[in-house]
Formats: sequence, structure tokens, C-alpha cells
Amino acid sequence: MSLPARVVTLVVAFLAVVAGVLWVVFDIVGPQPTTENYMAYAKNGVVDVTMMTTPQTTISNRPDWVSYFIKNPATGQFDHTTYFAVPANTTVNVTILGYDGCTPLRNPVWGKVAGVANDAENLQMWNGKSMSTAQEVTTFDSWADCSVQHTFAIPSLGINVPVASPDTVDENNALCAASPCTADAADTNSPHSVIKFSFKTPSTTGAYHWQCFVPCGGGYVDGNGGPMATPGYMMGQMEVEA
Amino acid sequence: MAADASAAPVVAGRSRDARLLLTLWIVLSVIADLLVGLVLGPHLPPGRASDQAASQQTDFTVLALLATPVVVGVLLYFGWALAFWRQQPGDETDAAPLHGNLRVQATWIIGTAAIVLSLAVYGTVELIAPAGAGAGQGPQPVFKNGMPAAASLTSWTPNSNNILQVQVIGQQWAWTYRYPQFGGFETTQLVLPVGQPVQFNVTSLDVIHSFWAYTLGVKADANPGVNNVAYATPTDTGYFQVRCAELCGIWHGSMYDTGQVMTDSDFMAWTQATKTKLADVTKILPPYALTYDPTTIPAGKVNQALGLTSAGGGYYNPADPEQP
Repeated sequence: MSLPARVVTLVVAFLAVVAGVLWVVFDIVGPQPTTENYMAYAKNGVVDVTMMTTPQTTISNRPDWVSYFIKNPATGQFDHTTYFAVPANTTVNVTILGYDGCTPLRNPVWGKVAGVANDAENLQMWNGKSMSTAQEVTTFDSWADCSVQHTFAIPSLGINVPVASPDTVDENNALCAASPCTADAADTNSPHSVIKFSFKTPSTTGAYHWQCFVPCGGGYVDGNGGPMATPGYMMGQMEVEA
Repeated sequence: MAADASAAPVVAGRSRDARLLLTLWIVLSVIADLLVGLVLGPHLPPGRASDQAASQQTDFTVLALLATPVVVGVLLYFGWALAFWRQQPGDETDAAPLHGNLRVQATWIIGTAAIVLSLAVYGTVELIAPAGAGAGQGPQPVFKNGMPAAASLTSWTPNSNNILQVQVIGQQWAWTYRYPQFGGFETTQLVLPVGQPVQFNVTSLDVIHSFWAYTLGVKADANPGVNNVAYATPTDTGYFQVRCAELCGIWHGSMYDTGQVMTDSDFMAWTQATKTKLADVTKILPPYALTYDPTTIPAGKVNQALGLTSAGGGYYNPADPEQP
């Protein structure tokens, strides 16, 4: 075989191996969730971010998985994603509409609200008929009561916020059946919580991962597989940009 | 006759090369060992932030000092052979036949055996001396040299004959730390007093993690249902990194903390402040134990009515048409 033929063969073989590796990597990683960009919606150092938890994800190919949704600031619709971008050094006012039912925390320590303003969350409950009076809550005991459905936690920033759940058997058996659930709290009969809290984004830009600490991946080992380990469901990234 | 006449210069050349190689090897080894011992050694990981880390750094330095002459010898011989013993252009003759050399073989075997066996003895002693050298020793630690007993699990004061207990709990994907001698509070912050022996009780609530307080020289697997004990005595105030050293899932790479070593008085103040701050969550934690089983919990009335009697993760009602 001539030298040019050898070189061509070597290059083709090398490229084939590289292509194979890339195909495997991208096939495993898969498409990443889209990022809800709140950068342009920050005013005077404050930005509002709204999320939702749902007991299923009927709009995905995993309809039985629990999931977070994030409101698109441009359209006002809830998109199936867990990635959002906010400015650095900015107060983020988060509202989470919690439509899922309760599940005990694997470690009760995550029942403590931490890393946010006053180490407390503002909680209202919609029982299907009326909204409760808002109250400040600092700790949930998910082992003693049906009180927590998920958490929103950014471990590297010390942030942990339990998402309260409907607290009766009847309410837990009447959860919303399609996702995203109706966005406007006043327009739905499905029981859910409305929690609000604030925290300040760090000055260091970058991607900060957030996750749920409730083992809500039913049917998976320790409840931590499936939606708990898949971007776009129960884990995501807060991208802090300059 | 011709062969005999040519043999003398070859032997003389070998002797000269051997003397030169030996001289060069000794000189270069001494220089390299001085550089390793005085320049590289103090910068070898994991540093000297604890007695155990310092012991590890010393061990690495000793190993490097022993290995350096070997490396120098191999590279020198290799380079010498390439430079001076290579086939000359136009030389088609065979090299001199080899018939073995008992002296060289015996020297090599005895020398390497002596090095390996002495290192085995040295390594064993070094594992015993600094209480396991920071390694996880399982639930019944063997190497406790220099560590006081756990005289009390409900109180602790600096410089008492009572070792500080810190429970390290791994979970996907964060570390939490429990201090049983201060009311059993659990926090995401790892804070230690300087100069005080610490007993880490390492466990997990789900999969296998590995608690790696790198600069403290501590590394212990966190296994569910198992208490893995490791010891350390921090020697300097400041910060240190904690990482998970066992691939434990998608956010394994984010499972890190920054710990802090502070003075005794600052540590005591921190424990009191944290105990007060976390009082409301401490009272809902399970009683302090060396391991925990989240698959069985004393669930409340509504939880039980919903079939939620554990935090094991399998909560879907069998009648649920959307079972995973």
C-alpha cells in the first residue's frame, strides 16, 4: 500500500473512532433542556422567577415522572425545563406552585428552610376551594405529617427550600392530572401549595446545579433515579450571568 | 588469536563505562534526592494540615527519595546505551555474547527485595503510628494510636480525654455533618477545632459515597448501613476541601464542601450558635445512631393512610396506572 493510501486509511479510521465516541456520548447525554432566560427581566437588582411541580409529565415521553416546570418570562407559559438564567448579585424572588403530593424526606434535615431570606418561606395552601392565609414556615417534619412534596436546593449556595404539599388524604388523591397544571392558582381546583422565598445570586458567574432531596423517583433505587437524575425533571441548573 | 587480541579493549571499555556510570549515578542521585527532599517534598500532597496529612506527606517524600535513585539509574543507563553503545554506521558485526552475571543478578534481586520489604515494614508502621493515617477503618478501627477513647457521646470540651465525634452522612448529592456531643444537630457545614483529635463516623443514606477531606488526609468510604471510622487531628486553622471520591450519580462532581478549622473557643461558640439555630430541625431528626435506615420511618397518620411508611423511594400505589 502506498504512503498516501496508508495516511488516508489512518485518517479515516481515526475519524470513524472519534465519530463513534461522540455518538455514544451525545446519545447518553441526550438533548439538554432549554434555558428560561430571565436576564432581561431583572429590574433594580430584583427578578421574579416562577416554577411549578407536577405529579406527572404528561407532555413528555416519561408521563409517569414527577417534574418541575419553569415559567417562560416572555410568554407566561410553563415550559418543561429546569434550567434558568438570572443575573449575578441580584435578588431572586421565587414562587413555586406545588401540585404534587407528599413524600417523606430521606433525610429530615432537608425539612429546614435554609439559605434564603429569613431562612423562611411564605406558604399558602389551595385545598381545591379556597386559599389559606399566608404564613412564614421555617421547618417541615415530613415524617410526622404529609407536608413535603419536593425541595428546591442549591447545595453549593447552602439553599434548601421544602415545597409544601397538600396535607390531607383527599387532597393527595385529587392531584392535577395533566402537566403543566393550570398556572393561575385561582383558576384551578387541584390542591396545591404556593410558596415564596427570596435569595441573592452570587457575584461569581457560572452554572449552579439545583436538585430535589425528596426521593421522588418512584420505582428506582432509593428513589433517586429516573426524574431525580435527569435534567429537566427534578434537577437543573441556575445559570448566573454577568 | 585475533579474538583474544580484541577482547582486552572491550573489557577495558566496559570497566571504564561501569565506573563512569556508577559515578554519574551516585552524583545525579544525590542531587536529585536533595531536590526531592528539600524542594519537592514540602509541596507534595496532601500537605500538613493535620497529623495524618503530615504523615502521608512524609511517607510520599520517603517513597520519592527511594524511588528517585532507581529512576535516575534507569534513565542514565538508557541514555548512556543510546548515546555510546549504539551500532556504529557500517558496523555489521554482532554484539558481544551475554552469558549472565551472577553478581549483577544477585545485587539486583537482593537490592529490590530489600527495598520492597523495608517499605512494607515502613508502611505498616506508618499505618499504625498516626491512627490509620486518615483512612477509613470500618466500624471497629484497629489503629487508634494517639487517639483518646470516646469517653462521652453527649458532651465534649477541648483538651479533654474524650475524642470529638463528627458523623459524616453522604446522600445524593450532598454531605451533612452531625455533632452528637452537642445535642445531635446536623448541618451542611463541617467545622473542626484545631489541635483536637476528631473521630469521623462516616455513613450513607443511599448509595456508596467516599468522604475525602483531601488536605486533612482523610478518606473513608460512606456505605449505607455501615459506620466507617477515620481519625484526624487538624494542626492549622483555615479552610479545607471535602469531595466525594466515589462515583455516586449524575451530580457526583458537585458533591463538595469547604470545611473550616478554627480555634477551640471559636469552635465552641460555633457549636452553641448552630445548636440554637438548628434546634427546630434537630428535634425532628431521628435519634443519633451510627447508621440510619430510611426505609422504615415512624410515618404520621396521613402518611400511613397514603401508604407512605418509608423514605425508601418506592411510593407509587400498586393501583396507580402510571407506575414507573
